[in-house]
Amino acid sequence: MPAIEVKDLKRDYIVKEGSFVRKKKSTIQAVKGISFTVEKGEIFGLLGQNGAGKTTTIKMLITMLAPTSGVCKVLGFDTFGQEKMIRNRINFVFGGELGVYRRLSARDNLKYFANLYKIPLSIRDKRINELLDLVELSDKADLRTETYSKGMIQRVQIARGLLNNPEVLFLDEPTIGLDPLGAEMLRKTIIDINSRGTTILLTTHNMYEADKLCGRIAIIKEGEFLALDSPMAIKAKAAGETALVIEISENPIGLKDKIAALDGVSAVTLDTIEDFFRLRISCTTNGDLQERIISLVTPRSIKSLKNEEITLEDAYIKLVRGEEK
Amino acid sequence: MNSKSVILTSMLVQMKQTFSRNMFKFTLFIGPILHTIILGEMYRNSEQDSFIAYAVLGAGLLNLWTCIAFSSAGDINRERYSNTLSIIFSTPADFRLILLGKILGNTVLALGSFLLTVIFATVFYRNPIFVNNWPLLIAAFLLTVLAFIIISIFVAYLLTLSRKTEIYMNCLDIPFALICGFVFPIDNLPQFIRFISYLFPPTWAVRLLRMAVVETSYGFWENFIPLIITMVVFSILTAWLYRIIFKQTKILGTLEMA
Ligand SMILES: Nc1ncnc2c1ncn2[C@@H]1O[C@H](COP(=O)(O)OP(=O)(O)O)[C@@H](O)[C@H]1O
Ligand SMILES: [Mg+2]
Repeated sequence: MPAIEVKDLKRDYIVKEGSFVRKKKSTIQAVKGISFTVEKGEIFGLLGQNGAGKTTTIKMLITMLAPTSGVCKVLGFDTFGQEKMIRNRINFVFGGELGVYRRLSARDNLKYFANLYKIPLSIRDKRINELLDLVELSDKADLRTETYSKGMIQRVQIARGLLNNPEVLFLDEPTIGLDPLGAEMLRKTIIDINSRGTTILLTTHNMYEADKLCGRIAIIKEGEFLALDSPMAIKAKAAGETALVIEISENPIGLKDKIAALDGVSAVTLDTIEDFFRLRISCTTNGDLQERIISLVTPRSIKSLKNEEITLEDAYIKLVRGEEK
Repeated sequence: MNSKSVILTSMLVQMKQTFSRNMFKFTLFIGPILHTIILGEMYRNSEQDSFIAYAVLGAGLLNLWTCIAFSSAGDINRERYSNTLSIIFSTPADFRLILLGKILGNTVLALGSFLLTVIFATVFYRNPIFVNNWPLLIAAFLLTVLAFIIISIFVAYLLTLSRKTEIYMNCLDIPFALICGFVFPIDNLPQFIRFISYLFPPTWAVRLLRMAVVETSYGFWENFIPLIITMVVFSILTAWLYRIIFKQTKILGTLEMA
């Protein structure tokens, strides 16, 4: 039996618009019929832009929201109707600074949730200490969380998500708001708990993270899947694609846009590095495209030129853009 | 055992949080004084009986009501804003127990506030409080608190279904106090409103309470029986309402801010 089973899952939101006088109801289709399964032990990633439907999908999986239609099962049970069979075996973490009791300390927050998760008193305090250590909050554990930074609140939530040793853990943008060290720590933790058998479904904006952590990835856009595969395979979908990196000493006005307008170019980024500029162009390897790109750049301003292996981000952009064209 | 722990910890967390809120401290400490002075002046020239029955008891009840029901409604909204409402709702713990714990936490604080009202009224107006029937007073008081708790749970459930909590909450506080006769006898109300009063358990509980302190024209049973009936009816309604909110909150997505 898979850990997660989703078939043709849909979720609409009914929103009321307008003033008291003229109320209009409209329907937002947040999730438009997605299907996937996650086997036990996997780390599965949901990638997508803001508003793509990632959070809505997670909320349906964690028994927080009812699906409008379709199958939505966790550990073999329906998330709407069989909540009791699921809730003590899963947990979830939402990114952001909400979701904790701000007038309580981290320790009191964790104690309270430990009780709600029915963790025996005999092991509760030891567990909480271990988790506080893990998220590196032990020395501030008794301060009210309203005094915490975003990243610290995020870490309290992560500790809360691990309280009950969940069989399936749902992480919605868990590294948002964390500094690079905190994010790296969390990625290690994710790998660690996964190696102990916890199935993980995570959403993220961070392609590097998804590539590094996830065995399989679904790319979601406007409530639908564009791709569902391993990071390697998704990158291969962008086959015939390369990343051309040019470092130039001057940056003529409009250069970036001119390059982006060329047929076969899917993305251009421009970074300023000390006294030069770095253009990274995702494009096809077809024909003379690269030569045409180079011809747009003043030849004597080129400091270096090379082809890089494409990243998941390149592939993602190509997939998402490709849909638009 | 585990249910008890959910109730108890929810209660303690509630009290800890509430106590650190300045607005609640105002309700808790300043409220009794304000209510007592306002009602005290209103009933200053009336007979000693009405002074105790309506000014002192009235101020105490008003505060008890505000602290239990009004705050419990506010808590739903606060939890919604802090995004904890949907989280506690999705834990293995029974939401009914969590909510009961919260309301009991508010009740304990409210009892303190009630006591403060009585002490303040006694000292400020130098009016000795005399009680006709202590056992009745205690029993009626407990029943009043129970009636408040039942109504509070009912209202809190209703509020999980709507994001407009604050509006309802403000509409609820004072009108309810008047309808249930906390500060003046409901006999002063128009007949059709009195029929609404009769539907709510606090109306009957408060009448019993008043019986314990002053001479009244009514008897024990004619209030006790309606009290029990309305409490049972509300409890059944509340249990039924829970079955609805358990599903509807997830269908409508009303546990969180949009
Ligand atoms: N409670 C809600 N009421 C109405 N619309 C919502 C609600 N929550 C999300 N939406 C809408 O549903 C879509 C998907 O949102 P969400 O699942 O939060 O996306 P993501 O997490 O990928 O950013 C968006 O268009 C969003 O505006
Ligand atoms: Mg989201």
